[in-house]
Order: sequence, then C-alpha cells, then structure tokens
Amino acid sequence: MNPEAIIDTYVTDVVRRLPRKQRADVAFELRSLLGEELQDRAESADRPADAAMAMDLLAAFGTPIDVADRYRPAGFTIIRPADAPGFARVSLIGVALQWLVSLVAVYSVPMDAAAPGGDWLSRLGGWWLTWGLGSFWWPGFLVSASIIAALVSARRVPKDRAPVAILDRDRVNRPLIVLYMALAAVGSAPLIAIPSIASWGSALPQPVVQAFELDAEFLAYRAPWALLLWAAALGLGIALLVAGRWTRPIRIASAVGDVAWIALLAWWVSGPIFVAPLADDTTRGILVLLAIGLVFDFVFTVRRIAKPIAAPVI
Amino acid sequence: MVTDVPPLAKYEQDLRKGVLVLAVLSQLRTAQYGYSLRQALAEQGMPIEEGTLYPLLRRLEAQGLLDSEWKVDGGPPRRYYTLSDPGAELYRELHESWGSLASVMDTLLEGPRS
Repeated sequence: MNPEAIIDTYVTDVVRRLPRKQRADVAFELRSLLGEELQDRAESADRPADAAMAMDLLAAFGTPIDVADRYRPAGFTIIRPADAPGFARVSLIGVALQWLVSLVAVYSVPMDAAAPGGDWLSRLGGWWLTWGLGSFWWPGFLVSASIIAALVSARRVPKDRAPVAILDRDRVNRPLIVLYMALAAVGSAPLIAIPSIASWGSALPQPVVQAFELDAEFLAYRAPWALLLWAAALGLGIALLVAGRWTRPIRIASAVGDVAWIALLAWWVSGPIFVAPLADDTTRGILVLLAIGLVFDFVFTVRRIAKPIAAPVI
Repeated sequence: MVTDVPPLAKYEQDLRKGVLVLAVLSQLRTAQYGYSLRQALAEQGMPIEEGTLYPLLRRLEAQGLLDSEWKVDGGPPRRYYTLSDPGAELYRELHESWGSLASVMDTLLEGPRS
C-alpha cells in the first residue's frame, strides 16, 4: 500500500476533528511534516518508505483523536475529578431507585397471565420501553446541569481570593441568622394565634373562622409539642450566633431537631388537624411536603457533621 | 496504601514536559519549520515526539506567542514559526525563572552543606 495514501487518510482523520477554518492549513502542514519524518526514517533504515514504516510513524505520532486533542486549546472541565465518583454514584442510584419503584409498581398490579400482555415477560418489555429507558433522563439532566454550571464557571472572572463561604463552609453569616430568626418569630405568630381565632377574629367572616377551627384532640395533645421544638430551634439559633460557625455539636443538635420535627409532623398528619375537611387536607399536604424537605435537610446536615480528625495509629 | 510505581521513563517525560515550552521558544528566535525545529532540538539532546511538538507550535501560535508564515525555500511549501513580541517577552521571563529554578534544584540535589 502506498505510504503517502496512509498518511493522507490519517491527516484527514485528524483535521476533521478540528475547527473548519483550521483544517486545510493544518492538513497541508501535517502531511508535509509526516512526509519528511517518513523520509527521515527511510534514510535511516536505508530502504524506501513502505506501508509498515508509515504505520510505525503514525503509531508513534498518536491516534487521530489524541492528536486532534493536542491541536485544540485546553477546554473546560464539565465534571471535576473530585466530583466524578459522587456524580457517578448519584446518577446510578437515581436510575436504580426509579427502576426499583417502577418495577414494583408494574408487577404489583394484578393481571391475568393468560391475557394479552399479562405475562411477566410482556410486562418487563412494556416496563423497559417506558420507565426502564425513561429513567435515563436523570443522568442526562445531571450532565446538562453540569454543562451549564461549567459554562457559567468558565465565564466567571477569577477572583484574587476564593469567597469565605467556600474556604470556610462552616462559617455563618450572623446578620442572616438574625434575619432568619426574626422571620421565624414573625411567621410563627399567626400559627400560635390560630387556636384563639374565635376570640380575636370576630371581625372576620364566619366561614374563615370556621375553616381555621382546630381539632380539639390535636390542640390538646399534638400541637403543644411544637412550642418545645420552636424553643429548641431558638436555642440553636442563639448557639449559632454565639459560635459564629456550625460546630459539630450544633450540627448534631440540628440533625436531632430535624428528626424531632419529622416525627412530630408525622404524628400531626396521622389525625385531623382542622375540623373543616378542605383546610385539614390542604394543611396535611403542606406538612407532608415540609417533612420531605426536613428529610433532605437531615441528610445534608448529617453529611456535613465533620468527624474529628483522628491521629494515625503509630 | 501503595500504588504501582510508574517506570522511570514516565518521570523523565514529566520532567521534559515542564521545560517543553521554554525549549521550543529558545529555538524559535530564528525562524524554523516543524521538522527542522525537531531536528535542532534532538541534536542538542532534547528529543521531542513529533506528535507533541507539531500541535504545540499551533497552540503557541494561537496564544499569540509565535508568528508563522508559509515559505517556499527550494522545496515544498513549509510553515515557518518565529517568536512574536509577546513570545520573546515570555521567553526572557521564562529564561530568568529557569535560571533561578535550576540553581535551587542544584542546591537541593547536592544536599545540605556541612
């Protein structure tokens, strides 16, 4: 085989991976340089250049995709090496969870195995074409989000110093904590006032007063615990203000607080909260969402509880 | 935890990578094309793989450190590269840095003076 033809094919393969405006120029130069390299090898070997010699030269030069990479300026990183294992874990767990839940859902529906599409294999086929393949939206979504984050990060002008929140992630913004506590106090006031709405809300329309009438059992037994947890949260806020940072005990206390709130909310939604069914259903729905949010907060908090740095065993 | 130790060639390659740009810039004070530059470097004891050198010239040119032009000099057309003004400035600075680094390394490698 003609060695020049091999080089031409190789060069074409390299430059097709380069920006269009660069291709002709790089192709001409690269072919010329490889030709001279081949000639050099032929003279050293004291024989005419042949296909094997050209292949040896190209093998040393690198694969077309590697060479094209070298011609291109350094790109930007979509997923950093330090984030790669976590990214892979979150992607795979997300897909596995969707598969697990959807498979259970598909096979838990009773169907006549003799009916068309009712046998286990047909169900599996149906599942694969819907949830099975559809679950891959999750890694795709993560990759898309990573690309957007990488593009934003690449455009950002690097600062002389990284922000304090990145260098010291446990440090808290005290004014923000004060604002948060003030908002929590303001927000909790109407909730505390609801039980006595009949006495202070005489000016309100009667349907409104009736809608906010609390269940007697809830008010007597399940509701008061919220005051205890609010007091604990206030204490936690004060501890944060004093320490100025999330310490290990404060994070543990926060995680315990999350668990306590989740348990209390679960207790609350186990029975009626308002007498009016519509208000009751709406409130319980909101509380379930709140509990889900607290579960996430609990997971993040636990993950951030720093273990003390242990001395090595000597 | 003990991981496999890469061969000596890998460490040597890493060492060379660190001085690659300086070596190339040093030879482009006069115009050279890719093949002649590689030959010049190899003859002076700095062989650089062609698959590394030729793309590097293009990247340095894209960064504005090299100027280039096609020339016909009794053979096929060749693209000749030479230092641009920013490239010459960078070369001076890297040259100074290299002097100081080499001096530090000499001291480190010779060990503490008794």
